[in-house]
Amino acid sequence: MIHVQNLTKSFADLRRGEVHAVDGISFDAHPGEIFGLLGPNGAGKTTCLRILSTVLRPTSGLAEVAGYDVATHPAKVREHIGFMSGNTGIYDRMTAWELVEYFGRLYGMEEDQLQARLEELFETLQMNEIRDMLGSKMSTGNRQRVSIARTIVHDPPVLIFDEPTSGLDVLVARAVLNTIAGLKEQGKCIIFSTHIMREVEKLCDRIAIIHKGRILAMGTVKELEEKYQEPDMEEVFFDLIQEYEAQLTA
Amino acid sequence: MVNWKNVRLIFFRELGDQLRDRRTLFMIIVFPLLLYPGLGIGMLELRLLSFEQPQTVVLWGDQYLPGGDYPPLVQDGRFAKSLFRRPDDASNLHVLTESALKQETDDSEVNDQHLELYQTVRKINAAVAERDKLSAELAEQPADSEQAEQLRARIGELDRQAGRLFNQAKIEGLVIIPRGFARELKEVNRQIAERVDSASAEADYPRPQIIHNSADEKSHITFIRLEGVLDRWEDEILEHRLQSAHLPTNLHRPVQAQSTDLALEEQLNSKIWSQLFPALLVIMSLTGAFYPAIDLGAGEKERGTMETMLICPASRPEIVLGKFLTVMTFSVTTVLLNLISMGLTGLYMASMMDARNLAKMPAPAFPSLVDIGWIILLLIPLAAMFSSLCLALATFARSSKEGQYYLTPLLMATLGMTMFCVFSGFELTEHQMFSVIPVCGVALLLKGLLMSSLSSGPLYVYAIPVLGSTLFYSFLALYWAIEQFKSEDVLFREAERFDLKLWIRHLLRDKEATPSFSEAVICFVLIMMLQFASISASAGADSSAEWMIRALFITQIAVIASPALFMGVMLTTSLVETFKIKWPSWGMLGTAALLAAALHPLSLEWMYQLAPFFPELPASMQEPIQRLMSSKVSWWYLLSAMALAPAICEELAFRGFILSGLRRTGRTWLAIGLSSLAFGFMHMIPQQVFNATILGLVLGMIAVRSNSLLPCCLFHLIYNALAVVNQRQGQQLQELLGNTALIRSEGGQLLYGWPVLLVAGLVAVTLLWKLVKGTLPWNSARQQPMSKPLITTGAGGN
Repeated sequence: MIHVQNLTKSFADLRRGEVHAVDGISFDAHPGEIFGLLGPNGAGKTTCLRILSTVLRPTSGLAEVAGYDVATHPAKVREHIGFMSGNTGIYDRMTAWELVEYFGRLYGMEEDQLQARLEELFETLQMNEIRDMLGSKMSTGNRQRVSIARTIVHDPPVLIFDEPTSGLDVLVARAVLNTIAGLKEQGKCIIFSTHIMREVEKLCDRIAIIHKGRILAMGTVKELEEKYQEPDMEEVFFDLIQEYEAQLTA
Repeated sequence: MVNWKNVRLIFFRELGDQLRDRRTLFMIIVFPLLLYPGLGIGMLELRLLSFEQPQTVVLWGDQYLPGGDYPPLVQDGRFAKSLFRRPDDASNLHVLTESALKQETDDSEVNDQHLELYQTVRKINAAVAERDKLSAELAEQPADSEQAEQLRARIGELDRQAGRLFNQAKIEGLVIIPRGFARELKEVNRQIAERVDSASAEADYPRPQIIHNSADEKSHITFIRLEGVLDRWEDEILEHRLQSAHLPTNLHRPVQAQSTDLALEEQLNSKIWSQLFPALLVIMSLTGAFYPAIDLGAGEKERGTMETMLICPASRPEIVLGKFLTVMTFSVTTVLLNLISMGLTGLYMASMMDARNLAKMPAPAFPSLVDIGWIILLLIPLAAMFSSLCLALATFARSSKEGQYYLTPLLMATLGMTMFCVFSGFELTEHQMFSVIPVCGVALLLKGLLMSSLSSGPLYVYAIPVLGSTLFYSFLALYWAIEQFKSEDVLFREAERFDLKLWIRHLLRDKEATPSFSEAVICFVLIMMLQFASISASAGADSSAEWMIRALFITQIAVIASPALFMGVMLTTSLVETFKIKWPSWGMLGTAALLAAALHPLSLEWMYQLAPFFPELPASMQEPIQRLMSSKVSWWYLLSAMALAPAICEELAFRGFILSGLRRTGRTWLAIGLSSLAFGFMHMIPQQVFNATILGLVLGMIAVRSNSLLPCCLFHLIYNALAVVNQRQGQQLQELLGNTALIRSEGGQLLYGWPVLLVAGLVAVTLLWKLVKGTLPWNSARQQPMSKPLITTGAGGN
């Protein structure tokens, strides 16, 4: 479903010269799977996911989503994905219903099909109370729910969540994670990025540990813990990063 | 392909969004609807109020007024009605005479206010008398003496004192009739009647004074009225004097010219409209676009919804079009609301003025249906231009605040241009070039159309260039806005503090083979700045032919070639790539030479045909060129200054550094277009800007197709050399050969006959077509597609 091969993204930076935010990474993700990208802030997770969502163009390498190349068929890719990140806010001057409806229309959904889908979504995400509430009046949790509804309104086969729980309290974060787990059950191919170890352990089928634009290790949680002989992901993560930094300084 | 369904969806969403924003609604809709009625009616009411309120004037020394058969100043306790333009106005000045006030105090009638007033005015009178005395003394003193200084200080003190007293008195004006005024007047009249020779000397006696305070609006109005009253009284006194001397009463008006105003009422109306409407149209369509554009561009980034929009299936052009249509809707609405609101307020004010019998000013009437049609027709492309321009700038901005920084200069520039067009005597019929200048064209055309009864030529013919050029600019601006929306740098610009040191280090460290886009732009700006500096430096210098040639050399080398070469050495790693120092194919050299020769007669012809379109060059600019051409300077010297030096220096700069930098966008056609515009603007004189831009396009194409600077130099050399020969030797040649089918003379200039033009045209079109298509057999850049950047990015030398 998602195929990334040797993907690179560089940009010019005044201070550092040319910077490779994503530096030759490769991975695959399949339907019915949650693929986790685990990395510290500034590791290149967001850049990588922005390329997959066609917001950024890759400098080199290949990225395919649902069989379409992000560089050559960006519109097709956008039709087949749902993307949610800290930077995809909701409109202040639109109600929850209007917003989700608007995006449904942009995705070209038929009107009766769209209305049925909206009812269903507002029911399952328990959003009927905030149906006619303006975005500016919503709590963070409610905004996040509207965002999720917006992401999945067109029922895309691929879903990309970039740190969806950042800034949320425990209750809301838990609800979001449950929703994502539910989506996996529906057979979606999900990419999930985070810097929180617990979320990865709980949710992800496979993970890639990413640091300074490179993938340092990839596999199931179990495989990684066994390979590096550590009791949990946090230790694995530290080991890998220390090892990489040591290599760099050497 | 644009999916219009998406554009429509986005448009309606943005429109709804804006309509829910109270700030935008207020600025765009409520503000204009309140502004004009509020301002207009408020001002009118204030004016009416101040005009209709009776003002108090004290007439001091009324006992010295002439009585008997002299025309009276005061009648029944008021100024005489005959002294007002409208007799009813007499009731607006409430007069308190000295004798009346004195009578009250003598009769000890209890009126404390009047008692106090009497005493205060007395003091003012004393102060004024003292001041007059000191002024007379001051006039006799040398200006810088110590005594004069003291007198001035004393006068200042008296002024302040009198001012305080005047304010205390709570009156709006004070008229002081000097002691013995009536006597003096009568005496002079008698002398004139008896034709006494010394009458002129005797006529110098103290005159009445009006004391007022012009900083106080009411006192100022009173002063204007008093002046009118005393002027009319003076006329009556004079008439009386002439009558009693048995002289004609119009003796003092030997000329008395009469004026006849041919302006019809509707012309006066249209004059107001023709100035107000274009100004309002331009400024309001920009203001109307300003706020929504900021909200839709920078505002979206600020609220974190930009990325939400970018990941929806709508393409970037669709998003921009949706937003653009929204901004434009607001722009158009703002203008229409403003015009309607202003028109209604004007009508209301006119009716108020009529009702109150105020001085009639040309009543603003509604423009005709045809005029409204024109306004709307011109408004649409204008609003489109401003909307896309604002949207592009607002998209570039990171925050609303930054957006305002970018848009304010646009507003100021537009304001300046509009004021210049509307309030200067410029007319489109005289300055046709303005029809293709943004903003000016629309403002001048609308001004002309609204005054159509007064202008000479048919104006609607200018609608085509004005509308065409404005539409062209709006397409350009829209294209730019879409480009902004496609650019990752713009959408994900981080708020980074600009650090000059870091930036310079970055420039020197991260060099690439050819310059960057911004380096090319900076090079052009540098050249223009140096050029302005060199113009102001050379202004006023003695200009012999020798000196002019030397100046030409210096300008070419120091102003044009040096910045490009310097920047090339400092900022790029490959001079060969940047300046295209490569040996071209012989075929390409031949093509360039042939093209130059073919374009020479053609460009002369189109410049001749288009001459009326451009403003005529002032003699001060034409004369030196003619002097240079007719001077005894040797041919090789003249040609090397006017053909060889530009061929090398201008090509190094414009087809070398600047074009190479501009091509880094990856859009070769855009780069050629921009470099030719830069090349055109460098020539500064409108005629030459136009011609050089066209030649710049040809040169850019040659540079790209040959990937060498040499054919460009050759083209430039031959083209300029032919122009020099034509200017210097053309007339002699024409005299020698006479008018033939091959050459003709127009106004002292040698032009070519139709057979030459036909052949040249055929050759030029064929070669240019092949250049554009890239089908010349010696086309070296054939394998290099036009849309690929010259050097791919990412080759930075860390």
